[in-house]
Order: sequence, then C-alpha cells, then structure tokens
Amino acid sequence: MTTETAKSKDPGDWPTLLKDNARTGGQGQHPARSPERAVWQFRAGSSVRSAPILEGGILYVASVKGVLHAIDVVTGTSKWKFQAAGQVHSTPSLSENRILFGCDDGKVYALDRHAGSKLWEAPTGAEVWASPVVCNGVVFFGSADARVYAFDAASGRERWVHELGGRIYSTIYAAEHQLYVGCGDGKVYSLDASSGTILWSTPTGNGIDSSPAVAGDLVLIGSEDFLFYAMNTSTGEVRWNYETGLGVASSPAVSGDLTVIGSKDGFLYALETHTGRLRWKTAVGEVVTAPPVIGDGVVCIQAGGTFALDSATGNVAWRAALAGAVQSVPVLAGDTIYLASLSGEVYAVR
Amino acid sequence: MDRRTFVKGGCIGSATLLMQGLDPAMRADVTPPAAPPIELHGLPDYKASPLGMPGLFPGRVIELRDPNAIVRNRVSQPIVRHMLEHAMKELTGEKSAPGAWAKFVEPHDIVGIKINPSGAPACCSSPEILREIIGSVQSVGVPARNILVYDRYSYEMDIGSYQALLPPGVRIFGIQEAFAGGAGYEPNVYCDANFFGEWETRSYMASIVAHEVTKIINVPTMKDHSASGVTGALKNLAYGTFNNVARTHRAPYSFTTPLIGLMCTVEPLRSKAVLHIMDGMRQVWHGGPLTQVQDFIDQPGILLVATDPVALDTIELEAIETKRRERGAPSLWQHDPNSITTNSDDFYRDAAKNLFFRQPGHVAAAGKLGLGVADLKQIDHRTLSA
Repeated sequence: MTTETAKSKDPGDWPTLLKDNARTGGQGQHPARSPERAVWQFRAGSSVRSAPILEGGILYVASVKGVLHAIDVVTGTSKWKFQAAGQVHSTPSLSENRILFGCDDGKVYALDRHAGSKLWEAPTGAEVWASPVVCNGVVFFGSADARVYAFDAASGRERWVHELGGRIYSTIYAAEHQLYVGCGDGKVYSLDASSGTILWSTPTGNGIDSSPAVAGDLVLIGSEDFLFYAMNTSTGEVRWNYETGLGVASSPAVSGDLTVIGSKDGFLYALETHTGRLRWKTAVGEVVTAPPVIGDGVVCIQAGGTFALDSATGNVAWRAALAGAVQSVPVLAGDTIYLASLSGEVYAVR
Repeated sequence: MDRRTFVKGGCIGSATLLMQGLDPAMRADVTPPAAPPIELHGLPDYKASPLGMPGLFPGRVIELRDPNAIVRNRVSQPIVRHMLEHAMKELTGEKSAPGAWAKFVEPHDIVGIKINPSGAPACCSSPEILREIIGSVQSVGVPARNILVYDRYSYEMDIGSYQALLPPGVRIFGIQEAFAGGAGYEPNVYCDANFFGEWETRSYMASIVAHEVTKIINVPTMKDHSASGVTGALKNLAYGTFNNVARTHRAPYSFTTPLIGLMCTVEPLRSKAVLHIMDGMRQVWHGGPLTQVQDFIDQPGILLVATDPVALDTIELEAIETKRRERGAPSLWQHDPNSITTNSDDFYRDAAKNLFFRQPGHVAAAGKLGLGVADLKQIDHRTLSA
C-alpha cells in the first residue's frame, strides 16, 4: 500500500487521523505511565472537536471556529494560524508540504504546511467533517452532501465524484486500489479508487458515523445499530459482528489480532480481529465516541478524561482528568502526549 | 405577549400558584422562595399567529403505543412511520397524512425541528422519528434545505450522531458550541430576572428562532427532570431556545416555575411552535434529564402528538408519576428535605434522592398563562392502538 501520509521520517510523527493511513494509532509509543505534568498549554480560542496531528515538531489543531493552528511542540507557541470560512470539525491530514482539512463551508482546504498559506480549495455541496485521506497523489473524502470526492493532491483538480445514499461523516480508508467508507444510509461501501465506481455495498441496521480500518482481508467498522462489523474487503460479506449496548460511532484501532472499539454505552471493547471474540471490556465513561489509540502495551481513549488501559487485560493503567473532548484523539509521541479539549485547550503532557 | 411585559412574581410566581392548591405536598413540607419579578422582551411588532400555542387543537392529545416500536432499545422505522401518520390524521381529522401536515406547514416555510439531545445517547429524540417528520414536512413541499434540525448544544447533537443519521440536505445546527457564549442569540429578545444574585440576569432567545425559522415542530422526549419535575414540550422549547437557564436552579430550589411557561409566551416562539411530537419510545422515570442509567429508562414505545404543549405535558406528567409509583419512587410533587442530596452519584443511584425540590407545577403555571389546558378532566386524551 502506498501511504504518503504515513511515510514520515520520524516514527513519532502522526500525520493523519489515527497516526497513518493504516490507522495503526500510536503503536510503538510508550505512554505506559501516568503523565505527571503539563509541559505546556495552548488556548485554541474555541472548542476542539477533531484530533490533533503531528509532524516535524509541529502540532496542527483545528478549532471549531474555523482556525487551524500550527503549534511548536517544544515551546507550545503558535507558528501560524489560518482562518477558514466556516466551522471545522475535520481532523487535518498532512501530505508532503500540504496540510488538508474539511470545513463546514463545504470546502476542503489545502494549505502550505510551513507558511499556512492557501494552496487550493475544493468545493462540495455541504459540510465536510471527515478527514481528507491522501493516497497515490489523490485526496479522498466524503461530504454531508452524500458524495465521495477525489481530487488531485497537488493541484486541487477534481478527479471524480460519486454519490452515495446518505451523509458521509466517516473518514475513508484508502487502500492501493480500493476505498472503504461508512455512510449515513447505513451501508458500508467499497469504491474503486481510480473511478469511484461502487465495487460492493453492505447494509447495516442504521446509519454509520464510524470510520473503517482494514486488517488483512477485513474491513472493520461500527454502526449506530449497536453492532461492530468485520466484512470481507473483496466482497463486503459480513464475517462476524459484535453487539454492544448502544451505537458505535467510534472508529477502531487495530494492532495485530487486537481490535479496540468504543461504544456509546460507555465501554471500550477489545476483540480478536479475526474472530470477533471478546478479550475484555472496560467502562471508561458514560459515552465513548472518540477512537481509541493503541500504544506500547496500553490503549488510550478520551472519554470525559483521558484513560490508558492495559491492552492485555483492559485494566485502567492511569487516568488524567484532562481533555474532555469526546470526539478527539490523544496523540502519542515518545514520552509526550498531546491532548485537545472541548473547552479549546491543547495540552502537551509528559 | 407584548413586546415588553413585566410580570410580578406575586401575580404569577411559583409561590402564588402553589398556594392555590396545585402542589399540596410542597405546601406541607417547605415554603419555596417567591419568584422575583421577571421581565419579558419579545420581538418588536411581531404579529401573533393563530397556529401558535395552544394551537389548532387546544386540549387534544393523541397517544399511540406499540410495544414493537422499540425492541431491545432499537426503534423501528416502519412502525414509527405508521404511528406518526395515524396520530397526525387523528389529531387533525384529515384523511391523509399530507393533508394533516398541510394544516401546519406550507411549502414556503423554513421549518425548525427542535430536538432534545440532552440525554444522548440513552434517551434523546430518536433519529427514526426525526426522519419521518422530515419526510412528512417534505411531502408538503418544503425542500430539505429549508428544514433545520436544531438544539442548544452542538456537542450534545454530535453524541446523538444526528449529523450522520438524518437525510442529506437538511441542516443540522447547534446554537452554541459549549456552555458559554452569547453568539447565536438575539440581544433584543430576552427574559430578565435575578433569581439568586447572578451577575448575568438575562436569558436571550436563539436568533434562528427569532429570525430564521417560520415554523417549529417540537420533538421532546419523555423524561423526569431533577428541577422542573418533567421535561416535555414546554421545557424543551423554553430552555432549548433561551440561553443562560441553568441559573434558575440553585439547590435545593428551582424557578422553573414560572420561567418555563413565561418563556414559551415570548414572541415569536409562541407563534412559531405549531406542533409537538413527543418521543416516548423511551421513558426516563428517574435521573432525568441526563441519566444514562438503563435501570431508570423504560421502553414503552409511545408517541404523543398535540398542538397544546400544556395538555401534552400534563399527560406526560401523569405517566411519569404513575411509573414512579409503580417503581416505589417518591412522587414528583414530594418536597421532603430528607430526599435532597448534593451528591449527584446518589441521585443517579437512588430514585428516592433528588438534587432540587422539583417543580412539576410549571405545567399548570403555563396553563394559567393561556398556553393550553392543564386540567386532566378537560383534556381530550385519545389513546389509540398502533
């Protein structure tokens, strides 16, 4: 698989949602002990409901009021900021010298990641909450206008558009030739990456907010029908599903044969990737909608506060009463964790 | 209500209403503080609509119940479609569902659907019911872009995943991002009262209600409420339209009576709220409005439809009171100081505990303001089988 956004030189980089296009979410990082102090705190000026990303010593955070902040991770100070024309709920993605994010004004913006200047913008018919994903020089994303878009990453020129049956808030998983995405019409779709042609679609029992991950020949995704699904990547056939107590808006983190998913029932579930068998479940809050990330021996999740659970047992290793944004994701980078909060604070804790 | 109305607590305040016999339990236990004067500022020169509360059918409440409408906590889209059609035809006397909807909505309207996501995900306005309402509004000729699903807090709407679950084209809108902030509110339309010495004494009306939508379809849920007794049509409208409302509770007291009813009289809210569809798929009988404790949430599969929010909430109040009695919980009207706790964990564990002296009298108080019928004997409550 060609994953440009995952080709970072520094293993501590985190250039897109859940670290890289493979959604490995923090593997190899070491947040095994409780953070003891805040290295710095940055005020974004309004709520943060998306996830930070990190590359080359710069943390990028989008606030709901439409400001993308580039923050120096050493000092916690602003390098630059960019004001978009609408609210931003989309997690940015980095690709070469570009940073891309969706906006409620219906556009995806591409900025120069070093200067914060706009390179191009791509229009859609409604807000874009999903994160743009870059693969083989093409940016893929879904919009609330029910369409999936493919744009040239360098020029912003449209490659193709394909309409699905409902709003799209799920972030596309881009493999070499196939895309996978959940849709508000309750279906999981696979599209041909070069044309947008639908290769297969598989219905679930309600709309989908969750973003898929792929492990081997399985697409893994949650649905508001309370179920978490594993589908065959080639055919969409359901291999197994696992029932939770409420809707599954969270996106899975996958590490080998361990898949971790949160449910709105307040539990984090660890399942065997290839069978769906439950290894453990742990209550971490009243509601879990954020994706978990898997570090070295721990699973981290934002659910009211920030929790780290032993990935083997599900026991709570530590808990930090920081970062109440239940839509955000902690970024694990060596011995530092970066967190964004619903109240608009960004923290580096160590 | 006139543009500027000054209401003295002594005329309509909670104490006076309660002493008239609406709340005998409270009279026996504690004397609440008198409500302060409340000043109401409506939109200047707004012409009241005959569709405004109590609407076309004062005192009429249609109730449908189908145990198959919710099974294992999942709401059935086809069954709620049938229930809503049936209820709307019964409410209006029309033979067709589009004919029934046309009594309330016209093709040129901008329709706001006021949801209740505050208990999400355990108990909130069901996306399945919202989809049916949206489809029905569209059947009258209103385009999707002119339908706006809204509530106060966008983060609560996110938890309900409404953005992903509702049809494309419909706008989904949170009035404010988090707890603070005045953006999104009309500075000239407000209720002003100083309840507990708070520094900000005004609650402002949402701009989308004041200026953007032309009709409101109110979709409350069926829940008890730690301060107001129940949260139904009246509270969903009032406290979901005006900001800075939590200040009306300071343990153990609450001024939800009379403020909820008074807020609902302020124009243009009163005129624009033409229809109330109560989602009783789930019923919270303790721990409302935010509980996630499933032990306190039944799944009766009820849908209630009315134009009269007072009659509707009176039926809801009876239902919650009955359920609490069945479960051995104290009456919503009980004001025993021993039941009050300052520990929210106690409240969420024990149905005998509460955070405030509840104010279910807010429903009758709203009736006194002309918003509808609060006397059960005068309510045309039609219970139908789906």
